[in-house]
Formats: sequence, structure tokens, C-alpha cells
Amino acid sequence: MRLEKCWFCSSTIYPGHGIQFVRNDAKIFRFCRSKCHKNFKMKRNPRKVKWTKVYRRLHGKDMTQDTTFEFERKRNRPERYDRNLTENTLKAIKTIDKVRFRREETHHKNRMKCKIAKERKEARKELDQQIHMLVAPGAKDIHLSPAKVTVKVQHESTNENRIEE
Amino acid sequence: MVQYNFKKITKVPTGKDFVDIVLSRTQRQTPTVVHKGYAINRIRQFYMRKVKFTQTNFHEKLSTIIEEFPRLDDIHPFYGDLLHVLYNKDHYKLALGQINTARNLIGKIAKDYVKLLKYGDSLYRCKALKVAALGRMYVDVQPYAFTTKSQFVGHTDYKYLRYQVIDTPGILDRPFEDRNIIEMCSITALAHLRAAVLFFLDISGSCGYTIAQQSALFHSIKSLFMNKPLIIVCNKTDLQSLEGISEDDKKLVEEMKSEAMKTLIGQGGEPREGAEVLLTMSTLTEEGVIAVKNAACERLLDQRVEIKMKSKKINDCLNRFHVAVPKPRDQKERPPCIPQAVLEAKAKEAEKEKKRLERDLEEENGGAGVYSASLKKHYLLANDEWKEDNMPEILDGHNVYDFVDPDILQRLEELEKEEGLLQEEDDNEVEMDVEDLTPQQQKELAEIRKKKSLLIREHRIKKSTAESRPTVPRKFDKDKKFTSERMGRQLSSLGLDPSKAMERVRSKSRGRKRERSIDHGGDDMNVDDDGSNKKMRVRSLSRSGSRSRSRPPTDVVVPGEGFKDSAQKIKAFKLGKKSVQKRNKDARKGEGDRVIPTLKPKHLFSGKRSNGKTTRR
Repeated sequence: MRLEKCWFCSSTIYPGHGIQFVRNDAKIFRFCRSKCHKNFKMKRNPRKVKWTKVYRRLHGKDMTQDTTFEFERKRNRPERYDRNLTENTLKAIKTIDKVRFRREETHHKNRMKCKIAKERKEARKELDQQIHMLVAPGAKDIHLSPAKVTVKVQHESTNENRIEE
Repeated sequence: MVQYNFKKITKVPTGKDFVDIVLSRTQRQTPTVVHKGYAINRIRQFYMRKVKFTQTNFHEKLSTIIEEFPRLDDIHPFYGDLLHVLYNKDHYKLALGQINTARNLIGKIAKDYVKLLKYGDSLYRCKALKVAALGRMYVDVQPYAFTTKSQFVGHTDYKYLRYQVIDTPGILDRPFEDRNIIEMCSITALAHLRAAVLFFLDISGSCGYTIAQQSALFHSIKSLFMNKPLIIVCNKTDLQSLEGISEDDKKLVEEMKSEAMKTLIGQGGEPREGAEVLLTMSTLTEEGVIAVKNAACERLLDQRVEIKMKSKKINDCLNRFHVAVPKPRDQKERPPCIPQAVLEAKAKEAEKEKKRLERDLEEENGGAGVYSASLKKHYLLANDEWKEDNMPEILDGHNVYDFVDPDILQRLEELEKEEGLLQEEDDNEVEMDVEDLTPQQQKELAEIRKKKSLLIREHRIKKSTAESRPTVPRKFDKDKKFTSERMGRQLSSLGLDPSKAMERVRSKSRGRKRERSIDHGGDDMNVDDDGSNKKMRVRSLSRSGSRSRSRPPTDVVVPGEGFKDSAQKIKAFKLGKKSVQKRNKDARKGEGDRVIPTLKPKHLFSGKRSNGKTTRR
């Protein structure tokens, strides 16, 4: 029993799922579901289809090179069974997974770093420019009152003067 | 002597089957359809053909039977006697004769009926004639049931020659005349065939007859064994061995043996060493069976060879034979060369006991369906305890085999180290150029965004409705959106003092009112907001497009709508509703909806009517 990778989207194909297509040149294409299969039949290039892993890797959205990927390699030579080795391998798989997951998270965070700065800048700008929605430019009372805010007693609520109608 | 192959005789079917075969053949091979409207010639022809066809079939089949069964004079006398025993020669001849007669009779019948059919004048008459013809043929064919019996015959091989073995059923000790058919079979066989005779003696007595009785039987039929090589075989030695029987029995056996020896001597020539007349065997344990077979074949072969040697023809052949023997050139012995290893292996094999095979193991543990061999038994592993381990192939969406690596521990360590380093780096790295907003500021921002979104939503609704509906002009404000109080509230929430603005607004409106009070007539044009709006209720902003819930009563005319009076307004409403009703009933969305979801739904176009026509549904 082997878990294969879908040719189109690179997700794992579990037993009992998907279709395998064998071309005349004996190259085998495995698909995890009919979506990928149909896309393939339409001759779409997975490198250009946004939701595939190939695209994401190519465009730097997901981690590409990492030592954790080198642990998983298809070995064609069978190894003699060794119980200790198998035990260690099974434990190792778990830790490798954890490491890889953490690394992917950091990669994502780094990618999204710039966005936060941008967001903050925009927020500041909006606050400065659109403040007239809350306070008219010529207003004498500069106290800004959040209308109808239920304030919890524990909070140190600033005594806002509600401007009477 | 004509050689008959008894196997080639086609099986004779029973009378009923025979008739069935012929009739069904007739039915299949001749045309079956005929109508009374056909020309009479055609009908006659049809039935004549059937009668003739049936007759020819019967004729054919009966002829084959007669020809295939051999004539008694033409077969080996053994078979002849056998036949007589089983069936009686006369009966056989009679039977064949009767078949012949039947054949002729059928021919006659057919001829007669065909003649009659020529004069048949209607379908019914022709058919009746045909039925009669066939019926009479049927009766004639009835009484022929032939059966044959056979003895068990088999073949065996010895020294590259085929030997035929005949098993005759057991014979009882009775006077010749009283014997039944089965015994007669055996006796005839013994009498006629030039064979070696194996007389089987049941040593253990488990057949129900003592050795004395068997011996008596032997002596009564020994005349049949003249000139035939005879071997006495003692069977069932697994139950009782030859040495273990009583003295009297032993004596009897010895007598039989001596008789057998007589035949041996009578065969001609001295008894060769190794020739045996008394053998033991057991069919159950299969010991000695091969020896018996070999002895019998050997004896028979010898006899045949002797006879051949004595006949005249042999001299002609002998001249042509010459066995050449190489002349020894010196006294040196040259035995066949067998390698030492082979000799040793042979010796070892003899003393070694049988190896225990997997098959034996399987049999012990319940047989083929129950036991499944452990294929991992012969694995070569570092530790034998691991032989029956089940190794998992898949874990967490990975193939375990892809990860298996002798240095995996080392590499894992390296990875962990690396990971540790990276994490430290991450912790140090937290920095941001732009600072986050304070909570207060965030609240303000949220407010701003809420208000903006509200405006946008309103605008979107207005935009969508403005295209499809006429909007009421601002001065006829139903929702009290444009009241001065409202303005005041909004301004004050923005932080401005609204009092001045409100005063100005009031003064302006009052001004207009004062002007109008002079020529105040029944003018409905500029309706005071306060007036009829009392009847109106406030609606939420988001529902400004729809008019579902609270609506003014239909006959009240609002000036901006464009109606002359309430009657006109009511009529207008009615017309509007009427135009929509029919479309609604047809489930159409609007004027332009021409969609037909299914052009021809099957359930409306299929089926039969119990009442009414299907031309309109």
C-alpha cells in the first residue's frame, strides 16, 4: 500500500480514491479527484492554476527548499526489517512533521509581515482623514463620544460627556 | 476374423427416446407453417414431406443399429460366450431381426400414407393422415431396449509392454449349472482367455469365507487353469500375516501352492530362481501389490516367449537376430563407473528418514482450508523475535518506507539542532516599523467605518430602486428624514451647536406658511408635513424600497403621486394588479420571462387515458 501524490494538485491520494491515467509512453498520471482529472483533460498547466501546490511553491507562497523535505524520499532498494529502526522511524516521522509545520508557519508569517505594516499605515491615515464623520471640523467640543457603547463597570470608562440633543 | 470395435457402437436409445429424437428432428428440419388458405397441392406436399422425412430418419437410425452390432460368428468366441451368458444368443439374433422387420414395416407404412396423401382434399384430412402415419411408425419402434454389461477392464505397464487386466467378480463354490450370470462371466473369461491367473485368497477371513472354503473353491475350478501361469495371492496381510494362520490352513495353502507349481512346471522348463507362485500383499497398505503385478507380468511374458520360441516362425526370425557382445581384450575388470559421492548419497538416503514437509504441517493443522502457512517463517533477521512483526506502511499521510533510513537518528538530531537555532532567531526578530493604534483610536476607527458602511449601504439601495421606481420628491418626505429635529440631532452628535441652524430653518418655513395663509384654498398641492403624515408610521431605512408592511390606505391620494382623485387611484391599482395576476399564475417573474424549464415534460405527455383523448391533455 502506498500513498501517492496527485499529479495536478500534489495532494496525497489515499487508497480507494482517484483515477490513474496511463499514457501511451507508459507515464502514469494519478489524480486525487475528478476536479484534477478534468483540469488535466482540459490541458491546463498546474503551474498556472492558483490553488495547486505547484503554483504556490513556484510563486513563493509556500516553502520550497527545506531539510525536512529530504527525509521523505522514495527508496527503491528494500531494507531488511529492523524493529528498532522502524520504531525510530515512526517517532521521527512525527517530529519531522512538527518541525515542518512550524517552519511553514514562520514562512507564512514572514510573508505576511509587510501586510501588517501596510494595514496599520492605512488605518492611521483613515483615522486622520475621515475623522470628520465623527467630529465636525468646526466643533468646539472635541470630546469624542462613542454612541451607545455598553461599558462594563470594571473598565475604567472615561467620563464622556454625552452631548445632549 | 473381423475386428469389431465395441466402443464404436452408438448407444441405442430407449424406445421412447428414439421416437422423440426422430420426431423432433422432423419438426426442426421440415417447414412448420401451413395454412388452410394455401393451394391444396402445397398442403399435400407439406405433409407428404413430413411423412417421408420421418420414415427416412427411422430407416437410417435402425440401419445403423443393425450394422453396428456385430454378428455372433464374426467376433472372438470369448465375446460370443460372454454375450450368450449375458443375453442369450438367440435373443440377440431375434432382436436384430425384429429391428430389421420394423424398418421394413415403417417403409411400407410411409409408402401407403404418401399414396393416400396424394388424394387428400383439405388441410384437415392431410393432417389426419400424417398423424396416423406417424402414429403407426411409433408403435413399431417401441420394444427395443438394449443394454450391455461389462466387466472391469484396465491396463498396466511392465517392461515397456502394455498388459490388460480383467477383474472378474467373485465366484462362489457351487456346481456349474447353478452359477449365476456374473459368475458365468468370470468362468467364461477364465476358460477362453490365454492369460495369467491370479487367484486371490483372503487370509484374514474377513470376507466371511474361511480359508477352507476358499481352498475348496480353488480345487473345483482348477481345471480351468490348465496351461495358464497361476499365482496364488494372499490378500489382506495387514489384518493377518501368512505365518500367523493355523496349521490346517497352512496345509491347505500349501496344497494350493503345489497345484500352482504344477502349472509352472507344465509351462515348460525348470522353475527359474525367483519365480514365485505364492505371494502376499495388502491392498490397504499397498505393500506387495507391485511385487504381485511384476510376478504375474513376468510369468505371462515368459509363457508367451516360450510359445513363440516353440513355434515354427521363430526360426525365420532368429536368423535375423544377432546379439553382439564386445570381446574382452584382457582380463581386466571394467565395472560401471559410479562416482563416490553418488554412492555415499545413496547410502545416506537409505538411512535418512523422510523430511517433514510443509504439506505434512498443513495436514496436521487442519488441512488446506483451515491452515495458512506462515510465510515469514524463514525470514533472515537480526533478531528472530521480529519475524512475526507487522510493520505499518502508512502513518499520518506519509509512507513509512520513504522515511526508513539507517542514519535517521543522526539526521534527526541535526534537524533538532537546526530547529533550535531557528527558533532563537525568531524570538529575537520581533520588530515593527509602524506602531499599532491605541484602543481608543481603534474604537474611533471602528465608528468611522461603521458610519461609512451605513452610508454606502443606503446609497446602494437607493441606486437600485431609483432605476425601477419613481422616487418621491424630497418635499413629500414620508420617513421624516428631513425634519429639522433630525438635523439638529445629527449636528449635535457631530459636535456642533445646532440651535442657530434650526432657528433659521424654522423661520424660513414659517415664512412660507404665512404667505400662503392669505389664499389658502382647497389646494392639496403643498401639503403640510404634519398633516397627513400623522397617519404614516416610521419605517426603517433599509426598507425604503419595499412597501410591505405599513402602507397608507389605498384611497388616500398623496399629491406627489399624480392622481386626480382617490377613484382614479383605486382604478390604477386595480389595473396594475390585473396585469400582474395572470403572469403570476404562470409563475413568470415578469413581462419578459419566456423561460420554459422543460419543453416537453414526460409526465405530461405520456400515458394512456381512462377517459378522454390523448390528443389534448
